[in-house]
Amino acid sequence: MNASKTLDKTLVASPERKLEADADLDVVRQVQAGDVAAFDRLIVKYRERVLGIIYNMTSNREDAADLAQDAFIKAFQSIHRFQGQASFFTWLYRIAVNSTVSHLRKNRLRSFFSLESVREDDPVSRELIDALTDKAGAGRDAFVRELQEKLNDAMQKLSINHRTVVTLFEIDGLSHQEIAEVMDCSVGTVRSRLHYAKQLLQSELQPYLFK
Amino acid sequence: MKRDTESKITVEDLLRLKRAERPPPEFWATFESEIRTKQLSAIVSRRPWWDRFSRAFAVVSRHQVAFGAAAALAMAFAGFRYVSGRPEAVRAPQLSAPAPAGAAVVPSAMASIAPAAVGAMARREVAVSARESAPAPLTEATASSSHQAQESAAIAPDSLSKSPFADTVAIKLADFREPASDYARPSVFGSDREFEQPLAPAHQPASEPLARMDPAAERRARLLAPALPAFSSGSPASLAGDWMRQRASSDDRMYESMDRGSGDDRVLVGFRF
Repeated sequence: MNASKTLDKTLVASPERKLEADADLDVVRQVQAGDVAAFDRLIVKYRERVLGIIYNMTSNREDAADLAQDAFIKAFQSIHRFQGQASFFTWLYRIAVNSTVSHLRKNRLRSFFSLESVREDDPVSRELIDALTDKAGAGRDAFVRELQEKLNDAMQKLSINHRTVVTLFEIDGLSHQEIAEVMDCSVGTVRSRLHYAKQLLQSELQPYLFK
Repeated sequence: MKRDTESKITVEDLLRLKRAERPPPEFWATFESEIRTKQLSAIVSRRPWWDRFSRAFAVVSRHQVAFGAAAALAMAFAGFRYVSGRPEAVRAPQLSAPAPAGAAVVPSAMASIAPAAVGAMARREVAVSARESAPAPLTEATASSSHQAQESAAIAPDSLSKSPFADTVAIKLADFREPASDYARPSVFGSDREFEQPLAPAHQPASEPLARMDPAAERRARLLAPALPAFSSGSPASLAGDWMRQRASSDDRMYESMDRGSGDDRVLVGFRF
């Protein structure tokens, strides 16, 4: 499990990401040249990741859907200002994160959970759930539901910046450098926030660790 | 063995579980249709006129620390220029005098004055000082001083320093190094009597007091003359005339004594009517 995690982090900084960024830039140039339909390819490519980031930051699927759509609309409206100095996904992530952060600050006192169901078609998540529950049947679903609520509750106890760093690093798999670009801060700040956020999460999720 | 597997569960593993929280595939159809609608409405709807200002303000607020620091620096610089500009304005007439060799630097406030005006000012001031002191030897000195003033005024724009503070320091240092320069001579500023000149017109020649007397006062003096004790030994008319003459001469003495002052202490009393 740790090896797969390390592999994920290595892939983030791999040349594949560079090739992906070049391909995105070509599509962006087409959109800037007037081929508006080319933007649909970018939407289809990044919609799940953008929605996942916003959902893990808000823990509300309706808000996440609205904010993801708004992020794509903002990107479409501002695509003529994209110069290609950063990769498109970094630029798009920044738009999505900034929209979500401003939404969370506006509705700081009005937050409630609206969780997605945990899909076990992914072998990694299924293996993890098996290791946690070590049993199958009716009790398994209840335990997964309880763990999901505890996870989201612990995430919402973090500050917005710490939550964003944890989401981008642990869930979406961005590197420290990419997170620093998205959040417009230094890499050291990212590392510090990540360390502090993990400490808080560890204290909150202590009953589910080393089980 | 099972224990070892379970003990490896960490916070990162639990957070990995959140990756599995994904919407069902049918959700994306709704998502796409909604984003189409929003895209079209974004194209059709016009932004309000204040939207540009709000965007500009958002850019400013994003760099509020940098803008604030720049504004503080600008205000500090302006305040420094204001404070440093005031002594230069006061010192400007002094700088028009011949400058010492080490004081080639002239404040930036002087640079704004035309060189011809500076030279004329210097010539006028040096001429006034020369008039107060010995005339013959200083004629040459006046010419040389005005020449030096013209030179300094001509050199000043080239040798200007960008820092007013550095200019002020350089001038003070030059003053210190040239204690016997023309600045130190009292003749540059004239003698003490030069300041007394405005009072001189107040001195008027002594006039006959009876000349200023009106006919009524003259008649009253003539009528009162017999009543005075001194009039008992002579004719009233001659006695009145003597008294008037004595009084007039005493008034003249009084005016003259006041005019001359008390000697070397140069106390001057002026009368204004």
